[in-house]
Amino acid sequence: MNITAEKRPAADALEGVKQGIPIFIGYFTTSIAFGLLALSAGLTPFQAVLFSMTNLTGAAQFMAINLMAAGALAGEIVTSVMLLNMRYIIMSASLLNKIGFKTKSDRFIIAFGVTDEVFSVASMKPGGAGRYFMFGLQGISWLGWASGTAAGVTLGAFLSRSLQDAMSGALFALFAALLVPEIKKGVKALIIALAAGGVNTLLYYKYSLSAGWSIVIAMLSVTALATLLFKDENNESDDDLIIPAGEVQ
Amino acid sequence: MNDNIIFIILACALGNYLLRVVPFFIPGGDNLPPFVKRFLDFMPIAALGALILPGIVTSFPQNPAAGIAGVAAAAVTAWFTGGLMMPVIASISVTWFILQFF
Repeated sequence: MNITAEKRPAADALEGVKQGIPIFIGYFTTSIAFGLLALSAGLTPFQAVLFSMTNLTGAAQFMAINLMAAGALAGEIVTSVMLLNMRYIIMSASLLNKIGFKTKSDRFIIAFGVTDEVFSVASMKPGGAGRYFMFGLQGISWLGWASGTAAGVTLGAFLSRSLQDAMSGALFALFAALLVPEIKKGVKALIIALAAGGVNTLLYYKYSLSAGWSIVIAMLSVTALATLLFKDENNESDDDLIIPAGEVQ
Repeated sequence: MNDNIIFIILACALGNYLLRVVPFFIPGGDNLPPFVKRFLDFMPIAALGALILPGIVTSFPQNPAAGIAGVAAAAVTAWFTGGLMMPVIASISVTWFILQFF
């Protein structure tokens, strides 16, 4: 593979920023919601912004503040966040051959900014993505996520009490909004989600497990069962991201 | 409590970073068997299901209908518009309305 990253650092970085602008917009608006919801979950503005700056991850951050509000333990929260984000392993593994790493520290820096959206842009780039392209792409993405949360916590300071009460349910609205596109692709997603919700409800009420561990067990058991039952998934949506990525080589 | 939250945030950051950085140092990691890929594809879907149920019912103990109607509004909006911001706004509006007037 022929990666031309080193030749034009500034132009490559600018190209990365350009291709990252749609990501910036998407992250910024979603992250406003994160800032608002983090406040209603009981985080301080500083904690909310710190969360986005250090984690740069979507649904898992929303899940974490939900579990924090439920009083879950650190171990429960970290376990469920890592389970939800295990797909990053696949993304990084796939990107390894598509990014023009020059030094070891490139790997340490670029790893921090691997997200679903960055992954798909970098994977689709003809000829592979150079390090400066990645710096630009990931930099603008990080900026969108971090500044969106800052905007959200600022906005939250001006909201009325009754609106803040209504917002405590908005977290679930967000989960539903993340789930609906999956369900639109196939009824399998609806079955998996309902089964996981059912198992979680059972564990939480009938067996009085804590909110965090019941989610972890529901996720793992239903996912394992679905993996066994739903075989032969050639047209799985997320695989579509991975297959073209392989063709770049 | 505040220190604990900071600790959780940083622990999550470390966990997420490890998931992203370790494969950068292990060549050949992109040849995972299909069932592992399926497992990782299904995980977020199961997670969202477990996050919505039973949380949606318990989030408004005085008026569970407010939470349920809010999520329904979000789901319908998401189905027709896509994106995240419009569904969240629709949900907050519906929930606020029910909490105010019912």
